[in-house]
Amino acid sequence: MRYLVPCLALAVMMAFAIARFAPERMPQMVQGDDALSVAFADAKAVLSAAMVQKADSYFHGGIDMECSRWKGARDHEGHEEHDGHCEHHHGGEPSAPADPWLWINRRVRAPERHVHLDGKKSVELLPWFWASVKADPHNIDAWTTAWYVANNEMKDRDLARQILDEAKAKNPESLEIAWTEARFVYAGGKGDVAEAERLLEAARSMGKRKCGGDLSALSPHEAEAFCGILDYLSKIYEGRGMKDAIRPLIDEVRATGTDSPVAAWMLDRL
Amino acid sequence: MKTLIRQIKALVRLSFMELWRRNDVLALVILALALMVPLSLSSPFGAAGASRYLDEAALLLIWAFSLFISLGTGARLFPPEFESRTIYPLLAKPISRGALLAGKYLGAVAASASALAIFYLLFVGCSLLRGGSLSMEVLQGFVFHLAFVALAVALALAGSLVVTPSANLTLSATALTAMFFFGRRLPDYADAVSAPLSWLVRLAYALGPHVEFFDMRQRLIHGWGGVDAVVFAAVLAYAVAYAGVCLVFAWLILKRKRF
Repeated sequence: MRYLVPCLALAVMMAFAIARFAPERMPQMVQGDDALSVAFADAKAVLSAAMVQKADSYFHGGIDMECSRWKGARDHEGHEEHDGHCEHHHGGEPSAPADPWLWINRRVRAPERHVHLDGKKSVELLPWFWASVKADPHNIDAWTTAWYVANNEMKDRDLARQILDEAKAKNPESLEIAWTEARFVYAGGKGDVAEAERLLEAARSMGKRKCGGDLSALSPHEAEAFCGILDYLSKIYEGRGMKDAIRPLIDEVRATGTDSPVAAWMLDRL
Repeated sequence: MKTLIRQIKALVRLSFMELWRRNDVLALVILALALMVPLSLSSPFGAAGASRYLDEAALLLIWAFSLFISLGTGARLFPPEFESRTIYPLLAKPISRGALLAGKYLGAVAASASALAIFYLLFVGCSLLRGGSLSMEVLQGFVFHLAFVALAVALALAGSLVVTPSANLTLSATALTAMFFFGRRLPDYADAVSAPLSWLVRLAYALGPHVEFFDMRQRLIHGWGGVDAVVFAAVLAYAVAYAGVCLVFAWLILKRKRF
């Protein structure tokens, strides 16, 4: 018992020492100093991803696309039937005697028609994206998808702007958010093109700064966003007849080392 | 026969009063309001008009509370009688052990069902206040939920005669929760693991209480409509059969039990 306090003190000191001298080797990286971040750390990211998955399920009218065995949707509007791995395990529609439990489950938990939640009804997706970014403000996928829903589905540009502003405030160094903002301002060529160009150039500089000039060092997500940024810049240059300005962009896309189709699109613009 | 019905009616009334004396339901209603009112006042990203997430949260709470009430009621039917030795005067009366079991079980189901009805009334009331409409699938969902309650009470009652109250509550709650969330995916898990474990998973799939059958939440939230009559009857038959097996098991144990 008399060794308990010194041992505990030693353990605490060692824990702090390891965190201080080898932070990159710590199993969890706490992003933020609020109580939720300290208490749950990486669990918040998992929770956040689960919320995005829930929003995806809402988009598909309540069907969990992670396991489509249960849906058995007879009529799927909009796109091809999603056949998840679970479907293949059991070889299609079971007869009642073969697996009565599966037979019941499919009929209780599957809609007759697979419909998508689009247009104004997409507002139902927003609470899950909101919960997702509350759990993990660095979930870029949640921010950009929430923006897409507000901008492209609900056609509510004020709401889309508000989501972007929040996303930028929480993730000022995100290339994906910067690219999204530029697309929002560009608005398919009908928006403020000069402002979009300024934003795209700023994002391009940020991308180069983040990787220290070595574009192949960008993460796959960042490289994809960087190529997208260059793609939009090339569209703007093409519109102005500045075809010479597109060539360096093609070199930069190739320098990312990805198999992005953007370089081919740019070549078509020359 | 008349005497038997009178005895069972008296036991049902006693079990029913027991739940309402404890004020568990009142505490749960207050907890539900404390959770749902702030949630309903929030407007994610400042956008108004979303309501399905509220239905989802409300139905999840109803499920959690009904599990809590059913297991608590079912598990407390006999152990307090054994501990306080009030089982002796009870068995000294001209009543068979089977009638005692049936009376207590029906009372527990009635008490849990009354609490469930209050939760569903609150759910429907809130939905109507938000501009929703009352659909037939809510009634179907309520009946399925009642079937779940009947099964859960039977399981907890059978468990209370075999293991200690705390072990019974833990095991029953774990089994029901696991089957509710993962029951339908057990064949996939069995396929993903090697031989001895996969047999166990398949056994759990075959014999476990498939309470996920009673889960109509997605149908209610996303407006899929009700299930057809054959499936409805099949699910209710499953509940009756499973609860029946649990009760027969409980009766066999109670019949042989020496006090």
